[in-house]
Amino acid sequence: MSQLGTKKAEVDLPVRTKYEESRRQKTGVFFKKKVGWLFIIISILAITIFNFYPMVQAFLLSFQSGMGANLEYVGLDNWRRLFGDPTFIAALTNTTIYLLIQVPLMIILALFFSVLLNDPKLKFKSFFRIAIFLPCVTSLVAYSVVFKYLFGIDGIINQFLLNFGFISETVNFLADPFWAKVVIILAITWRWTGYNMIFYLAALQNVDKSIYEAARIDGASSLQQFFQITVPMLKPIILFTSITSTIGTLQIFDEIVNITNGGPGNATISISQYIYNLSFEYTPDFGYASTVSYVIVILVVILSIIQFRVAGEKK
Amino acid sequence: MKKFNLMFLAAASMAALAACSSGDEEASGGSGSEGSADVDEITAWAWDPAFNIAALENAKEAYNGDGDYEVNIIENAQDDIIQKLNTGLSSGTTNGMPNIVLIEDYRAQSFLQAYPDAFHPLTDVINSDDFADYKIATTSYDGEQYGLPFDSGVAALYVRTDYLEEAGYSVEDVTDITWQEYIEIGKDVKEATGKNMLTLDPNDLAQVRMMIQTNGSWYVEEDGSTPNIAGNETLEAGFETYKEMMDADIAKIVSDWSQFVGAFNSGEVASVPTGNWITPSVKQAADQSGKWAVVPMPRLDMEGAVNASNLGGSSWYVLNVDGKEQAADFLLNTFGSNPELYQTLVEDIGALGTYSPAAEGDAYAVEDEFFGGQQLLTDLSTWTDEIPAVNYGLHTYAIEDILVTGMQDYLNGAELDTVLENVQGQAEAQLK
Repeated sequence: MSQLGTKKAEVDLPVRTKYEESRRQKTGVFFKKKVGWLFIIISILAITIFNFYPMVQAFLLSFQSGMGANLEYVGLDNWRRLFGDPTFIAALTNTTIYLLIQVPLMIILALFFSVLLNDPKLKFKSFFRIAIFLPCVTSLVAYSVVFKYLFGIDGIINQFLLNFGFISETVNFLADPFWAKVVIILAITWRWTGYNMIFYLAALQNVDKSIYEAARIDGASSLQQFFQITVPMLKPIILFTSITSTIGTLQIFDEIVNITNGGPGNATISISQYIYNLSFEYTPDFGYASTVSYVIVILVVILSIIQFRVAGEKK
Repeated sequence: MKKFNLMFLAAASMAALAACSSGDEEASGGSGSEGSADVDEITAWAWDPAFNIAALENAKEAYNGDGDYEVNIIENAQDDIIQKLNTGLSSGTTNGMPNIVLIEDYRAQSFLQAYPDAFHPLTDVINSDDFADYKIATTSYDGEQYGLPFDSGVAALYVRTDYLEEAGYSVEDVTDITWQEYIEIGKDVKEATGKNMLTLDPNDLAQVRMMIQTNGSWYVEEDGSTPNIAGNETLEAGFETYKEMMDADIAKIVSDWSQFVGAFNSGEVASVPTGNWITPSVKQAADQSGKWAVVPMPRLDMEGAVNASNLGGSSWYVLNVDGKEQAADFLLNTFGSNPELYQTLVEDIGALGTYSPAAEGDAYAVEDEFFGGQQLLTDLSTWTDEIPAVNYGLHTYAIEDILVTGMQDYLNGAELDTVLENVQGQAEAQLK
């Protein structure tokens, strides 16, 4: 309300009504506040019980160690053990490799597809959009199993490569440390590119067409338009997708377990799978498992800060 | 007013939460109640509908005690059972826990030691002399018998007699042999038929596990927790044999179970050295009837090694919750003392238990046409008695994950001593 308006009201209203009005307004504010609380209190309670409480418990647990239920406080022992643990280092290295290769690859692919599919002159647009988006509605386990069979020794990829003479002997993709990682990266990229593409497509709808028009009149090439207009305009969305993809990749579990089960010889094991193994495959050590979980938490925080700094709005 | 509202809301949501959890309690069969231990329903968890669940169903039919209660059989995947037991037992609540549960022998010690008091001792309930020694070793802890030994896991060598003949060998030639002899025969078979002798999965050291148990050795020492890798001559021999098989080019490399089963079902390999639970899968290829025989497991070429080993196998456990008396009573009257039940088990589902008195029954003597009229079950139970007892200890799968990487290094040319010392060091650092 403008200052002028307030003054006018003060002048017009009799004293008693003014008092009542302000009282009514105040109770109104209180009422609104209460209703506001009413709406969020259940979520606050649920979040506290199901999110914050376990997080604090897990943090406390990361300073304990022992078999199953026989836990005792060991101070920083778990953290020390972490840095001398070759399996953890292997898991961390693998996860970092997935992250460094897969996330940029997927973001670029998603950007590329979204710009192509945003072209108003393109025919069968919805078909292509659905085709690229479809992988991310399939079940994680189902598509993992499909990838496993595609790349098996007798799988269709081997048959194809053999028939066309690219290879002379079948390649055991899943039993080779290098190729197994490639298969995992291909699988995640296949599934999640369409998901990110949808964000970019939505964002592209909001970019004013006149900017492109102006650029074209000024003689900007398509490539220049892409790098000078599209990418800067999509920056917040690129930031959002890279953070969500980073978090997703740091937590990668299903694909690894179903395609290679961490093998050959820990060559594809991820941090999440190691946490699972520590908790359920081996003699359970929940304390050490939560220490490893907190490594993911720390990594997510650090990487998100870096990404905000690099790509985010400067405030 | 405001405070009242907040408190009301808090109370209401707590009540809602409490309602959820009390629902769980009811579903678990009221295991939370105190005092009276009489329950009218006990729950049993197991995996594999064709084998363990079917065995439970048979046991339910065959129960001849005087207890009055329902047995509720629930099928879960083995991984799910492990997860549920671990999360339930470590949180200290017995809500939703079963009364009877099947646990794989390799994991038994880790459960018994990680959750002391969670299991009900069966020492006074069953007669441990009735069961194979190696099963008693894995199912007892601290002088108490906790598990009722069930699935034997006795390992055997399944061979294609037709391929052997083509290469000029008979079943006798593969009976009671060493792994070295096996490799030589494998080379001849490959030359004559073009078929590989066996499948190997570089991610799964089951083969090595079976080899070292023929000489009574394991990844850990007698105490069940000290890694026994570096300087373990049996394990060295196992590794060398594994590499010899790889080098001799007699193995088809597979990367999972379906490829493993596919290889022998489609006739690509001449033999399958594994646990007896593979019998139903071998028999799946009905067109191969009469072409198979089962002989004792090859042994390591070492002093003291025997032609008998074990792979997998599982046993029944009773959880220390209300209804434990009924659960123990059920097990005693079925798997613990009823030879007739074991007869129906082998007849109906081919499940081979380790209850010795049952082995004399007629069902065990039946001749199996698929295996050329061999008295398969009699043979398998005979070999069961010879399996060297080892303490699997706490860390079988944890050590094996480290060992798999070591095996890769070794196959790629690293020195065996260095590899095993590395693994030993890693295992010691990790398994405290």
